Amino acid sequence: MTAEVLAPAEPPTADPVRRRGGLNPLARYLLTRLVLLIPMIWLLVTMVFVMMRVIGDPIQAALGGRLPPEQIAERKAAAGLDRPILTQYWEYLSGLLRGDFGVTLTDNRKVTDILVVNGAATLELAFWSLIVAFAVGVPLGRLAARYRDQLPDVLLRLFSILVYAAPVFFVGLLLKLAFTPFGWPSSGRASTGTELTLQQVEPQTHIMIVDALLWGEPSLIWDVLQHAMLPAIALGLLTGGVFIRLVRVNLLQTLRMDYVTAARARGVSERRVLSKHAFRNALVPVVTVMGMQIAILLGGAILTETTFEWKGLGYALSEYLIKRDFLAVQGIVTVIALIVGVMSFVIDAIVALVDPRVRF
Amino acid sequence: MKNVRRGTALIAVAAASALVVSACGSGKSGDSGDGMIVGTTDKVVSIDPAGSYDNGSMTVQTQVYQYLLNFPAGSTELTPDAAEKCEFDAKDGTKYVCTLKSGLKFANGNDLTASDVAFSFNRIVKINDPNGPASLLGAMKSVEATDDSTVTFTLAAPNDQTFPQILVTSAGPIVDEETYPADKVLDDDAAVKANGFSGPYTIGSYEKNQLAEFKANPDYNGTYGKAKTKAVTMKYYAKAENLKLDVQNGDIDVAFRSLTPTDIASLEQNDKVKVHKGAGGELRYMVFNLKTMPGDDVAQKLAVRKAVASSIDRAELANDVYKGTYTPAFSMVPAGQAGATEAFKDAYGEAPDAAKAKAFLDDAGVKTPVDIKLQYNPDHYGSSSAEEYAAIKRQLEDTKLFKVDLQSTEWNTYSETYNADGYPVFQLGWFPDFPDADNYLSPFLSPYDKKTPGNFTNSHYNELGTDNADDQMSKLLNSERVDGDQASREATLGKIQERLADQVPYLPLLTGTQVAIAGTDVKGVETTLDASFKFRFTSLSK
Repeated sequence: MTAEVLAPAEPPTADPVRRRGGLNPLARYLLTRLVLLIPMIWLLVTMVFVMMRVIGDPIQAALGGRLPPEQIAERKAAAGLDRPILTQYWEYLSGLLRGDFGVTLTDNRKVTDILVVNGAATLELAFWSLIVAFAVGVPLGRLAARYRDQLPDVLLRLFSILVYAAPVFFVGLLLKLAFTPFGWPSSGRASTGTELTLQQVEPQTHIMIVDALLWGEPSLIWDVLQHAMLPAIALGLLTGGVFIRLVRVNLLQTLRMDYVTAARARGVSERRVLSKHAFRNALVPVVTVMGMQIAILLGGAILTETTFEWKGLGYALSEYLIKRDFLAVQGIVTVIALIVGVMSFVIDAIVALVDPRVRF
Repeated sequence: MKNVRRGTALIAVAAASALVVSACGSGKSGDSGDGMIVGTTDKVVSIDPAGSYDNGSMTVQTQVYQYLLNFPAGSTELTPDAAEKCEFDAKDGTKYVCTLKSGLKFANGNDLTASDVAFSFNRIVKINDPNGPASLLGAMKSVEATDDSTVTFTLAAPNDQTFPQILVTSAGPIVDEETYPADKVLDDDAAVKANGFSGPYTIGSYEKNQLAEFKANPDYNGTYGKAKTKAVTMKYYAKAENLKLDVQNGDIDVAFRSLTPTDIASLEQNDKVKVHKGAGGELRYMVFNLKTMPGDDVAQKLAVRKAVASSIDRAELANDVYKGTYTPAFSMVPAGQAGATEAFKDAYGEAPDAAKAKAFLDDAGVKTPVDIKLQYNPDHYGSSSAEEYAAIKRQLEDTKLFKVDLQSTEWNTYSETYNADGYPVFQLGWFPDFPDADNYLSPFLSPYDKKTPGNFTNSHYNELGTDNADDQMSKLLNSERVDGDQASREATLGKIQERLADQVPYLPLLTGTQVAIAGTDVKGVETTLDASFKFRFTSLSK
């Protein structure tokens, strides 16, 4: 054995996953997506700004008819709306970067307060709804695939179309009619006593379940869960219907693949083929679609929140739209756009983590 | 995949833990059991009086601010609140002088002095917020603190009988000079933090238009007396149906504004709750734009208005559409107000009379059927407006004298359009600022032009420099406002209503009762449902 032979081998430069700049493909993919997120968000907030200006200036919209023209002009000047549009645009962007969305015209409220308080409510509703969507969509989709073209499959496909097509407020009203006679809470995020108690939590997150867990009183947690159930089901079923069909189709496609056939040929039981080999791979597209469903959930939240007195961003958006308070609307729409953009990135990251094909 | 599995497991454990923890709970709703919960669909625009002039804000202000004068529960007689006395200066009727009680304090410990009072009124005028009540102070030329306990108002007209009542409106709450800015509206969270309240309650927890907790102020010594309930929570609803559900399930104790007539009728059959009705005052009426309404000349337009007035069946609207929550109005001044008459009943009868309507039109040479473009608003005056105006259209067309084109528009556009003469005939409603006949007349009938605002409906009635100017009406209004003799004033008010019925620039239709639904164990609701429109939590108890 020579010294040459004993010399330590060089580090494995031939690592197939390493590329230029020393970044592995996953990191490079995420970095690229992150960089692309910036123009996407810029485009979104610019579109919001342009749309809000296309429909008229916010002062005229909110106060027109209630103040004489000279007072309207004074207020426009005070708000800087008489300046060139590019100056206004620059101030809007710099305000966003500073987290300053202005003050509502109709009820003198900081838009950031609305975004924090109502945004927390919407996030909480979206979280519970996604749980419902997964709890309904994944097992039922799997069941439908297992009994392909048999009665359970037909019924489940019908069910998925029904829950997807039925308007959220209609499902909400049905749920309220069904559960209210049994004393189940049908509106609000918690009982009045619970809300009052949770307002004392420090630091208050405005996410009821988190505040209730921080407070640590089981009865409050139960109260919050009870209140979340009906709105979460109403909104979750909407996405759940999509998940049923998606899981079913993907599972059926996966079951036709070669590696599944190979597994069967090796004598693996059908139950094991379904659960261990096909099912997990069939879930990858579901995660991808989940990103798109976030936007649908936020859209659906407007109706769900109004039906169930769930005072989130959707509820606030509809209120301020009715009052034509476009400064408030601009802030809320911007944040919704940001949420959709960021969630899209997060979903991409998750998909890249679970499906190596994406990052190559 | 391993990471995913671990994440899934973590979520499952978290969810399971939450369920286990929750299952261990007692199952109670978390209600404290103490105090009382009042629900409403009203919204708060601002706690700061300079930034609001709406029912939702006024309900909060009624609980937390003191006024110079106020109405005790069940009465429309002005009583000193923060003031010891208020009176017109015997020598100079344009001076209205109030002397404060001694030892008044805000809940934050600051003294409440005459300077705070003058500051409160001056800042409303100075800020002149579009949502604020500055317009109510048109009768006040200036206000100053003459000394620590004396406030002197200088008025535009001597012995203005309406001014003491303006002190009880949205323009009247006294704020703390040391914590409220002089030139801008204070946001609600800052107002709660400043605790510059001296009314019967202060505010504990506050989440705007979601939940507000009121705590009895032990130092309050004013018109309303001591609070019977130590803590009252106000819960804000987006939808009337949820408010109804919660009051009938006992989740809240009182539902105050606004349930639909159908909901109220349904709750009247429910043993678990009691429907309380109090003095009304809300007015629903139609406006004729004298410039754009049908008719070739002044005489024809007047004939069309009189014919419409003869064709409406108010009783049907009150009973069929509003299930008795409104009653027919035969004057702009609702029955029960001092000086109210039934001028429209005297002029056009109680029931519709198609023959009389036809006679008006024929005499003026108006061709029939008259095309009327009628507008109503579906989102500002309650959800039953559509049904109400559908019934009006049918009633008018049943006479064969009218052909009605009925349209509706949402509020913001609606208010802009009627101000721009966009609607020939349209719906409006009125919530009075104070319980006095003048508040149902002056805002509608006062002379006005571009320089002198005086008619918010833009009906062109009594518009100076036009055929519609009404000098006689202006004189009558000026006379009643400053007449300190009640009998003589009421006689003048009667003449004004008679002239109004003769000219018909507005057609009063219905007047509303105040309605609150409460659990059977709740007391004091009816006491506070009086013509002052102040919903006082101090009256409520269980």
